[in-house]
Amino acid sequence: MSERVAIVGIGWSGFRPGTPDVSYKEMIYEAAVRAYNDAGVDPRKDVQSFVTVAEDFHEGTSIFDEYTPDQLGAAMKSMHTITGDGLHGLATAVMLIRTGRFDVVAVEGHSKASNILTPDAITAYAQDPVLNRPLRLNTHFVAGMEMNRYLYESGADADACAGVVSKNRRNALKNPLASFAADFSPDEVLGGPSLAWPLGMHETAKSADGAVVMVLASEKTSASLTDNPIWIAGIGWCNDSPSLESRAWAKLPYIEKSARMAFQQAGIKNPFGEIDFAEIDDTYAYKELQSLEALGVCGFGQAGALLKDGVLDPAGEFPVNVSGGSLGVGHLLDATGLHRALEAALQLRGEAGAHQLKDVHVGLVQSWRGVPTTSGAVAVLTN
Amino acid sequence: MTLLERDPQAPTAWRGNLPVTSRYTYGLAGEKFFRTLKDEGKIMGTVCNNCGRTYVPATAFCERCLSELTEWVDVGLVGELHTFTRLFVDYDGNPLDEPELVGFIGFGDGGLIHKLEADPDTLEIGKKMEAVLKPKSKRTGSILDIEHFKPAK
Ligand SMILES: [Zn+2]
Repeated sequence: MSERVAIVGIGWSGFRPGTPDVSYKEMIYEAAVRAYNDAGVDPRKDVQSFVTVAEDFHEGTSIFDEYTPDQLGAAMKSMHTITGDGLHGLATAVMLIRTGRFDVVAVEGHSKASNILTPDAITAYAQDPVLNRPLRLNTHFVAGMEMNRYLYESGADADACAGVVSKNRRNALKNPLASFAADFSPDEVLGGPSLAWPLGMHETAKSADGAVVMVLASEKTSASLTDNPIWIAGIGWCNDSPSLESRAWAKLPYIEKSARMAFQQAGIKNPFGEIDFAEIDDTYAYKELQSLEALGVCGFGQAGALLKDGVLDPAGEFPVNVSGGSLGVGHLLDATGLHRALEAALQLRGEAGAHQLKDVHVGLVQSWRGVPTTSGAVAVLTN
Repeated sequence: MTLLERDPQAPTAWRGNLPVTSRYTYGLAGEKFFRTLKDEGKIMGTVCNNCGRTYVPATAFCERCLSELTEWVDVGLVGELHTFTRLFVDYDGNPLDEPELVGFIGFGDGGLIHKLEADPDTLEIGKKMEAVLKPKSKRTGSILDIEHFKPAK
């Protein structure tokens, strides 16, 4: 089973901080219509299987997988919903195609974050009910503690983390899909209110609404659908122990392992030299630095220097989050990984518009499911 | 430009919520851990001799090699501050008048998450921290039998 899998259609709806005008189904419908149109497929005839990602508590509906087929044209078809990030959905679609049983598969992820009136209660409800939840702590404490230990062991400083916010929100100025674009200096970031010291409010991504749909096809079928396939050259995922009591606090071993899995498939030995750009986790600013190190783009403790030297800027040697990332675009809950894959696909197609990078062939995408999880995924896309 | 257009005069949204109450059983190891904390005022771990690791709080199995763990050890009340934060928002995300100190205090190869009572300016990673227990008569067998951790003398 060596056949490659391509992204042959992409569509999105949003992204906006609020969407009082449309339901989540209408948002997904809009993204799906665009993706099917882009791929030139009829969902009722040509798409053989569908994968969606969603988390019941984000939706406010139990057994949410019952609510996913109709807006995708997936009713009475092979389909399932997984409680994971969009990249987990993408990985599942790749596997479906590589069974040889399906040639065309659609993947969907969305965020209706503005409908969630008690988001902090939902993340708190993800804490261990016996050991952690009785303390009644806002779950951002997990990020504050991870950042503190990360800075302590890596030697990265608060200025580098603030620099991530400044870079990503500035990058977002050129991305029409971004909700939180700003010309924001590192000093302004550091001068903002604290959230979970050393983590500041401005270093935490705000949420946005939106939907992303992708159509994937086997190599053989993709040839008849597009002249511009984007290959999923490698995809990996991994979970560490979820327990706060036994996890690593400074490093991200589950991202290291996800990356090894994806790089092995893609034949990448030297990520910094062989990859042209990356769209990676910046849910909290320090995560971009910590993730870059876990991805092996640089050694542990070296990402801060790359940032300060401008290497991660759009004009730098290894541009990171040219789209604006989650800090600039807005965090799209379970759709976040798919959003990053979408941005990478646009770059590799040469369709990124004002923030298009020159001469890019290999993009790196990485995602994390947020506090308090240790769940991550990595993909390598090529054109 | 959107595919869908909305009538700005349309009604807005319905609100709904779900009251969820669950019972979380501690399990065999959890019951023994919390019973020992309540009755004897001790923090206990279990040892995996296969991996050379001590799990705190005690668990019934090793998450690395899946051995059943039967060797229990008292790890004392003083651990090392592995990391900490000052939290400026409450459980629901509202600003706190007085920020809360929270830390992970290492015991064996694990540790406990808990609130800290200390001067934030003197707190640092690596500091020895001691569990302050509730009086025995007030303990119920939960993580709240520890009131907080304070710098050890
Ligand atoms: Zn073991």
